[in-house]
Amino acid sequence: MALGLTIIFGLLGFVNFAHGGLFTVGAYAGWQAYTRTGSYALGILAALAVVFVLGIVIERVLIRHYYARPKEDQILVTFGLGIVLVEAVRAIFTGQSQLVETPPWASGALQIADLVYPQYRVDVVGIVALTLTAVWLIVFKTRLGLIVRAGIDDALIVEMLGIDIGRAFMLIFALGAAVAGLAGFVDAPILAVNPDMGTGVLVQSFVVIVIGGVGSFGGAIVGGLIAGEIVSLTSVFAPDWAQVALYLAMAFVLIVRPQGLLGVVGRA
Amino acid sequence: MILRPVGDRTDWRVEGAVALLLIVLPAALGAFGAGTDLGTRILILGLFGIGVDLIFGYTGLLSFGQAAFYGTGGFVTAHLLIAHQVTNSLGALAIGMLVAAAFGALIGSLALRQVGIYFAMLTLAFGQLFYFMENSPLRAYTGSENGLPGVPKPSVGALDFSSSLGTYIFVAVIYFAGFFIARRIVRSPFGAVLRAILENPERALAVGHNVPRYKLVAFTLAAAYGGLAGGLLGMFQGYMPPEAFSIDQSGEIIIMTVIGGPGTLIGPLVGAGVWTLLRQALQNVDAIAGVWKLILGVIFVLLITGFRRGLAGGAIAWWQRLRAAR
Repeated sequence: MALGLTIIFGLLGFVNFAHGGLFTVGAYAGWQAYTRTGSYALGILAALAVVFVLGIVIERVLIRHYYARPKEDQILVTFGLGIVLVEAVRAIFTGQSQLVETPPWASGALQIADLVYPQYRVDVVGIVALTLTAVWLIVFKTRLGLIVRAGIDDALIVEMLGIDIGRAFMLIFALGAAVAGLAGFVDAPILAVNPDMGTGVLVQSFVVIVIGGVGSFGGAIVGGLIAGEIVSLTSVFAPDWAQVALYLAMAFVLIVRPQGLLGVVGRA
Repeated sequence: MILRPVGDRTDWRVEGAVALLLIVLPAALGAFGAGTDLGTRILILGLFGIGVDLIFGYTGLLSFGQAAFYGTGGFVTAHLLIAHQVTNSLGALAIGMLVAAAFGALIGSLALRQVGIYFAMLTLAFGQLFYFMENSPLRAYTGSENGLPGVPKPSVGALDFSSSLGTYIFVAVIYFAGFFIARRIVRSPFGAVLRAILENPERALAVGHNVPRYKLVAFTLAAAYGGLAGGLLGMFQGYMPPEAFSIDQSGEIIIMTVIGGPGTLIGPLVGAGVWTLLRQALQNVDAIAGVWKLILGVIFVLLITGFRRGLAGGAIAWWQRLRAAR
């Protein structure tokens, strides 16, 4: 179920190595707002706002200078940034794991046929679906989304048309960051917050992208569902192999369909 | 792929300088108040990093899963020695290295199907696969999160390297051999093709080089270096830690390589030295002991942004400018 959140990560190549850190920052920002005010909605708002602003700052100060540099430099700088974010969180809030209470309206359990689900996880699915829809609308139905998609294909032409591509990239980067932050907060009652919580999620979202297909919206969703099924099914029959099975499935997909299940060749 | 050096064949000054460095390093560390063991640790990471440099600094492949091979070589070597299946230190190291290289070829053949960030993602994911294998299904052999204690210190025949300085000498000789071979590799025609791939993969392909094959060989070599370094780690510590497989280990070796200077072979050693010494220095100051990694992280980000060649790379470029000016 937590994998549902990683779906968002994988959308549209937003994902980068700093997202684990942004996820953590969002979780802590939301958790602070939530425990201080008691309002879950304010928690969500804080997670979104803090990481959105952080995203803008990071893009302006650092990432902006990297668009023209080799891909490897971009990976390195986002990776370094992820470390800085996580360590900053650790410095401020210590490395201890903190439990986050499930909001009262979501504390029960839900029975569907013979299966019992904690209510909160069902609500998380709803939040994920909402966020997915919102992101999809922004990327495919707004002018901003159009500019960014055009900019990824050919930034020069877009600029020649008199459009400020830098601003569009900044906004979409901050949006991706904010979504990562939101995911962090929503996951907090499930995972408990600690500085390293983002790392595992980051790796799992990479796996989801590889299975589903690089740069494919539908692929990310399908990949996320498949990955979730693999982990929960193997947990039942062979708990030792649960995590291993996920990566083996990834290797298998790579062998039989290198572009991913719903991926398109040439969009890497 | 004959390993014939390109350029001046009689220039042994670099090898000489490295040998000298290895000889004076324990004394130099002593002057800083650090022990010989720290030097051994730096050399092991430097050897591990030579492999990373071969694929990243020379070929442009950024792998976040090198810990998989460090751990594999380490645990295979440690297991063989503890179970007395192999009593010869060098034999156990060689087997660990070969197993790591074999896994390198396997993982490489899968991960190299992608490039750029997706290659990095895949290597990271495969690194995790190895981590979880160590942790659960193979725990009978690896001790899961306890690791493997009781790894014997290195010895060759009647020669015993179990003292602190002895282990340093053992590791230093192997490091030198590893450096020597890596330098032959990058100065050979094979190395020239790797650099062609780094600069422009399409062009390398267009002039008829089998780019995927070259990448795979480089990746396998890097895994072999990782496996050898991992084997040495277990012997040096007398204990094989599961952390050798961790994501952090994969990340740190990349950071060290970048700090030191990719594409120099000696860079990873410099980076490992700076990282290890800075870490120790920062941890000794109470006020900032908790944030040593934050400080190193910031330094790392600044270095990639403003000083991409790294410390050794910058020093070499400065030296070459100086010579050109004369």
